[in-house]
Amino acid sequence: MRTLLKKPVAPLAMEKVGPELQHEIEQFYYREAALLDRRYYEEWLKLLADDLRYYMPLRYSRVVRHEDEEFGPEDAFANFDDNIVSMRGRVRKLLTDVSWSENPASKTRHTVSNVIITVTDIPGTYEVDSAFITYRNRAEHQVDIWAGERRDVIRRADNKYGFQISKRTILLDQSVILANNLSIFF
Amino acid sequence: MSTGSSHNGPAPVWTRDAIRGLFDETNGKIDPRIYTDQSIYEMEMEHLFGRSWLLLGHETHVPKPGDFMAAYMGEDPVILVRQKDNSLKVFLNQCRHRGMKICREDNGNAKAFTCSYHGWAHDIAGNLINVPYEERAFPKSFEKCKWGPKQARVDTYKGLVFANWDPEAPSLIEWLSDGTTWLDHMLDRSPAGTEVIGGMQKWVIPCNWKFAAEQFSCDFYHAGTVSHLAGVVAGLPEGTDLSDFKLPTEGVQWRSQWGGHGSGFMVDNSSILEVIMGPKVVEYWTKGPAAKIAEERLGGPEHSTQPVGNHMSIFPTFACLPGINTIRTWNPRGPNETEVWLFQVVDRDAPAEIKAEYRHHNIRTFSAGGVFEQDDGENWVEIQRVLRGHQAQRTPLNCQMGLGMSSHDHPIYEGKIGYVYSEEGGRGFYNQWVRMLTEPSWSTLGPQADAKAAE
Repeated sequence: MRTLLKKPVAPLAMEKVGPELQHEIEQFYYREAALLDRRYYEEWLKLLADDLRYYMPLRYSRVVRHEDEEFGPEDAFANFDDNIVSMRGRVRKLLTDVSWSENPASKTRHTVSNVIITVTDIPGTYEVDSAFITYRNRAEHQVDIWAGERRDVIRRADNKYGFQISKRTILLDQSVILANNLSIFF
Repeated sequence: MSTGSSHNGPAPVWTRDAIRGLFDETNGKIDPRIYTDQSIYEMEMEHLFGRSWLLLGHETHVPKPGDFMAAYMGEDPVILVRQKDNSLKVFLNQCRHRGMKICREDNGNAKAFTCSYHGWAHDIAGNLINVPYEERAFPKSFEKCKWGPKQARVDTYKGLVFANWDPEAPSLIEWLSDGTTWLDHMLDRSPAGTEVIGGMQKWVIPCNWKFAAEQFSCDFYHAGTVSHLAGVVAGLPEGTDLSDFKLPTEGVQWRSQWGGHGSGFMVDNSSILEVIMGPKVVEYWTKGPAAKIAEERLGGPEHSTQPVGNHMSIFPTFACLPGINTIRTWNPRGPNETEVWLFQVVDRDAPAEIKAEYRHHNIRTFSAGGVFEQDDGENWVEIQRVLRGHQAQRTPLNCQMGLGMSSHDHPIYEGKIGYVYSEEGGRGFYNQWVRMLTEPSWSTLGPQADAKAAE
């Protein structure tokens, strides 16, 4: 079972899964993206497992010889490191009228692609890598575009969407965050 | 203050009198052009950022000889390097040949810094030690020792590393003035001192640096009214809501004797600290064995375990929230943009569980994605946008909170003290800003000059 950030440049899973599993998990991700873009945050919370770790490490510019130090170690400061309790708190914030950074709300478009699935030893649990480009527009003129990689551990769950996310590690393709805040989810 | 038409003639020339006219301390008014004008910004770069102590990071960012961290002083890229004798050096990240960066990494450990353009090599002290083809291609008059990158003065205060370009500027300890009391509240609670929870977070906010700096000097007001209601909600225990939250209302604001620093905090209850940092940190900070040690070191509970929700700004661009222990430098990027460099400290001898709590709650609340920080970014961005307007730029802003309502005779707290909801610290900030742009000599500007004048 992967640790969250075993290696910044992870080995590719070369064994392909069957089309049905590939389709199932991609459809799950598209629905997750739609929930976020439509701002159904309470519904999105149901996709997060109780043992959630939602982690976006800091990223630095390092020479290639030191690329294993490109991402901050797991006990260092990070862009996000939430458990299910703090994530519930974030959703509570968004559901108030007074979450100014998201009220008026950002207009977002989460696109998810490049889904590569690894079957694990635990039945129903999968390691899933995906790429994203997330677009955000705020107010009149603000545009932010983020790209990156997500490394998830998901497992089958008894909900409408079929899965829950247990671990999400987000490797953003920026070192200096080129936006005034990170008030959306990835 | 003139709000008259600028249709008559050319753009204003910023004479010293014109600069002084931008901030009316007596009547509490700010001319918003201080936040937008390009030539004022350039004057800031020369007279303010060129002469001030600027926070770069913490000693534990560069613990071992050869460790380096890229940083900025204003818009100048610099390198902070731990030397073989354990001292620190800061020099401009610029090869003296054609100006390429000699260090292209954000951090690491180096034995040398070699320019990738023509291979000029420098030791970790910034001395130019090797120039390819020196013998054959350079005249005899060429002396390597004169062509290393520009060196800054470096000094530290209880773990924090600062640098200054100006050899005539006061020392760091003089610069900090009576702000050391409130820095100690964060940095000197334990004999072991503090350490960084590793790394530096960086993000870009399209606003003038002074909005951020001023807010940390004097603005508990935004936290005690509406800005951070949703941030509070994010931290409430499940099953409770805002009606259960009892925001503290008794506190003080302090304005530094010299230098433009400000701070404030609450004293009547710790709810604001608890909703941000959680009960374990509050226990550690106010009641447990570490709190007792802090009380002894800092002269009693009034300076250690009673103040909570502290905000602080050390002029010009170092801001922090002691207790939460978030520390940041506002790096200016033109009048309309600020690049925030943020790190966090914790007592070096705190239990591992407490360090983990500090880390978790800081990331959760005060970081680029922090549930408090997110909403500050929102305000400042819109303010800067509004100030594209010609009328908006010439409509004075109110800076009258607490005007005339501070004094030096608080029974507990030293210095110029008033009620926590005030802008006295902000008026101190802008006062220093005006002085840095209008007084060329430290013989009038420096703290000793002020002390002499007061005699």
